Amino acid sequence: MITLAVFAFFAVLALAAAVLVVVQKNAMRSVLYLAFTVLAVAGVFFTLQAEYLGAIQILVYGGGIVVLYIFVIIIVNLKELVPERRPLLPKLVLIVVPVAVGVEVAYLLIARGFPAAGARGGGLGFERMAETLFGSYLFPFELASVLLLAVLVGAIIIARRKLVHDPD
Amino acid sequence: MIPIEAVLVLGLLLFAIGLVGVLVRKNLVVMLMSLELLLNGANVILVGLGRRLASPRGAIFALFVIIMAVSEAAVGFALVLAYFRQKKSSDVDALDDLKG
Repeated sequence: MITLAVFAFFAVLALAAAVLVVVQKNAMRSVLYLAFTVLAVAGVFFTLQAEYLGAIQILVYGGGIVVLYIFVIIIVNLKELVPERRPLLPKLVLIVVPVAVGVEVAYLLIARGFPAAGARGGGLGFERMAETLFGSYLFPFELASVLLLAVLVGAIIIARRKLVHDPD
Repeated sequence: MIPIEAVLVLGLLLFAIGLVGVLVRKNLVVMLMSLELLLNGANVILVGLGRRLASPRGAIFALFVIIMAVSEAAVGFALVLAYFRQKKSSDVDALDDLKG
């Protein structure tokens, strides 16, 4: 019961902050609400007994990505930019269509109920997750490290100020 | 015990809000932020289903989604910076000169 209350608290927090991310005009405020959302989602992970993922969420998102966003906004200095404008009708369509799809699937879920699954155990635990990750998913794990290396090199090359003059 | 429907609806709503942000906002940085919201919604659903099925695979997939989100953010920022250096703007409307 208390778990459900905590879950509901973090869920409402995450949704409210997510709406504020999209609605805010100032990008810096959006980033702060994004940090709020990320931490609330980490709380949701904790209530779902995915402690490892909650910790990773706080460390990688809260500590890494949000700080990266803040630095980019400081560098780009979004305050000097003109406010964005879009005609009302396309804007309305672009808002209504995703919301309608979301509401429809949510309605179907609640009305029909989710099909009953097989065994439902307690917590997942680090051990089983680690065994599966380094057993069945070792190759994707190594691929992810290659992806991160490629991203490291690619981001430096794209964001570099001057192009290196190639003798060829 | 948290009902699975609540978890799925939470993930779905986060996804929908992120999708609205990507579609409606014109600021490149805010669009990238909305993309993070979208991936977070997917992660919530993955973790909830993994717990429901008592399988560690949901959390593992969510871990890979986080790795991918980090990569996307890093490359996206590099592109935003390179673009801003050229155009002094991060409005996507100015991007239409990329059209061939």
